[in-house]
Amino acid sequence: MRTKGTAGRIARYLLLIAVCAWTLAPVAWMISLSFKGPTEWYAPNIVPAQPIVDNYINLFIPTNPIGGSHFFTSITEPITKPLINSLIVAGLGTLFAVLVGFLAAYGVSRYRAGGTFTIFFTLLTRMLPGATFVAPLMVFYSSIRFIDTYVGLVLLYTAVTLTYAIWLMKGFIDEIPPEWEEAALLEGASPWTVLRKVTIPLTKGGLAASALFIFILNWSEFLFALVISVTQVTTLPVQISKYVSAVGRMYGTQASIGIIATIPSVALGYLIQKHLVTGFTFGRVR
Amino acid sequence: MPKLVVKDIRKVFGTFEAVKNVSFQVEEKETLCLLGPSGCGKTTTLRIIAGLEVPTSGEVFVDGVLVNDVPPQKRQIGLVFQDYAIFPHLSVFENIAYGLRVRKMPDAQIKTKVHETAALVDVESVLDAPGKKLGLSEMQRVAIGRSIALDPKLLLLDEPLSNIDAKARERMRAELGKLQKEIGIATVYVTHDQLEAMTLADRIAVMKNGLIEQIGTTSEIYDNARTLFVANFIGSPSMNLIDCELVYSEERAILKSGDFTLDITEFAETIKGKPKGKELVFGIRPENVSVDIEKTDPTAVEAEVQLVEPLGAKSIYHLKISGVTVLAKGHPMAEVNVGSKVWATFNKDKLHLFDKKTEEAIF
Repeated sequence: MRTKGTAGRIARYLLLIAVCAWTLAPVAWMISLSFKGPTEWYAPNIVPAQPIVDNYINLFIPTNPIGGSHFFTSITEPITKPLINSLIVAGLGTLFAVLVGFLAAYGVSRYRAGGTFTIFFTLLTRMLPGATFVAPLMVFYSSIRFIDTYVGLVLLYTAVTLTYAIWLMKGFIDEIPPEWEEAALLEGASPWTVLRKVTIPLTKGGLAASALFIFILNWSEFLFALVISVTQVTTLPVQISKYVSAVGRMYGTQASIGIIATIPSVALGYLIQKHLVTGFTFGRVR
Repeated sequence: MPKLVVKDIRKVFGTFEAVKNVSFQVEEKETLCLLGPSGCGKTTTLRIIAGLEVPTSGEVFVDGVLVNDVPPQKRQIGLVFQDYAIFPHLSVFENIAYGLRVRKMPDAQIKTKVHETAALVDVESVLDAPGKKLGLSEMQRVAIGRSIALDPKLLLLDEPLSNIDAKARERMRAELGKLQKEIGIATVYVTHDQLEAMTLADRIAVMKNGLIEQIGTTSEIYDNARTLFVANFIGSPSMNLIDCELVYSEERAILKSGDFTLDITEFAETIKGKPKGKELVFGIRPENVSVDIEKTDPTAVEAEVQLVEPLGAKSIYHLKISGVTVLAKGHPMAEVNVGSKVWATFNKDKLHLFDKKTEEAIF
């Protein structure tokens, strides 16, 4: 699209700036907050009057004072473990959801596996609020001793995001004409080789986009992590909620976790951005 | 031994019977064309031969071996798809080498084979180009190259020219014909274009509604159409087909359609036993109707020219003969225009007569 004239161009940039400001303002506020001391947490200034890094230090050394003040919380251990936990469960959850989802989507797309109802049914589970699952899940998980285990949380994340994985990737696979696969088959390739050498290379943009989308969902998931974790598998979002002191929320510290938590998703997105271009145009591979 | 034997193939999709009962053979080096309108089951038949569809019943033999239970990747059959299905993410070289790599052929051998094949299908100059950057003609040749690089027992082509505009199609049809001769593999060619079938096939199987209406050499199909459908489908412009009834008057057998009459007493032997009033369809190809300014033949009938389509070397005349429209194909005549009175002569040796009810040829 080409808009003629300077006025049009100015209008376009103004619009872009407005959209960017809208999206980035909370991020800017979070960055600002993470460098502020407790006295400034409620202040409206965006640039900290006395910038400090105590919020970040406190994450790793919970006894360290923030801006001279000591906060009494239940937190005794550094953020390292929740960070690693989050990476493990979100990462593995994404990996399994993408793997299983891809194969399921392939079956649905190519062989109409399960008929029309099954694929719709997977969507149905997403139409209920997650909270409705909490009580039965707790009962079930405690009876099979999955509470506070990696296996429990990873399996749960895989199950919860599988719907998205199937639906997203079904769209990408549908875009690939079956003739390409049939041609490879007639060239003597086994069905698995066809998947590996034809279907996956042609859908990798979609796979990358789906993986990122699912990773972000898992990474920011709070409810299930809260009810499943006790001490061993606490994830970052759950950990953030624990930064409450006797005198109120520790906004600066929570903001600094927010900053740290943003890094993996952004880094992942940056790493696979080449594929995201094809992925987010929803599979126009030709 | 025939290269391919298809025996009593039937394929049902849900409640739709795509292929009802199809049997044919293809000999060594022969090209058989499956010709028919869309939905007649020709592509399904082809996919069954390739192993991409499982027949509901019936058998497929390649080189005398029953292949019903052999998966497509083990059948050693080359298939050129309608859209060519060139792998977009691979270069032309890798496209042609694909099957060889799957078979784990050593690199040096692959290189030789790919270059050999590329030379045959004339794509040596684009070997490094990515699959998605090719033109239609190149795609067609790469697709054929990829299919034949493995020295398949059989080559199948599924409407390879149907996505190409008319002008390029003519050229590519010729190229394809030439290539076919050079490759010399038993081929099954699917098309809905009768001209393609006539030019490329040794034998044609005309299909309709999941059945083979007639199978034979090009001239058999053209000259001796066994059904009304075949008569109508083959030839351009198509055969004149005129509904008429049989009447007998003073020992003479006459075909009558309104005011139009044609004496067919000379075929009395063939039509013996056909009752008076029998509904028939009489057919004659436009090139077997000659147009003259003077009455040179005693059997000539008077006709009025309604339209002239000049095709250069030949012209097509739309004639009105006693209320019936008949197309004639003949030499261009400057003095014949719309409204001209001319004399039309039917070449009686080339007449066709069909039973209107059974649609089968009487002669």
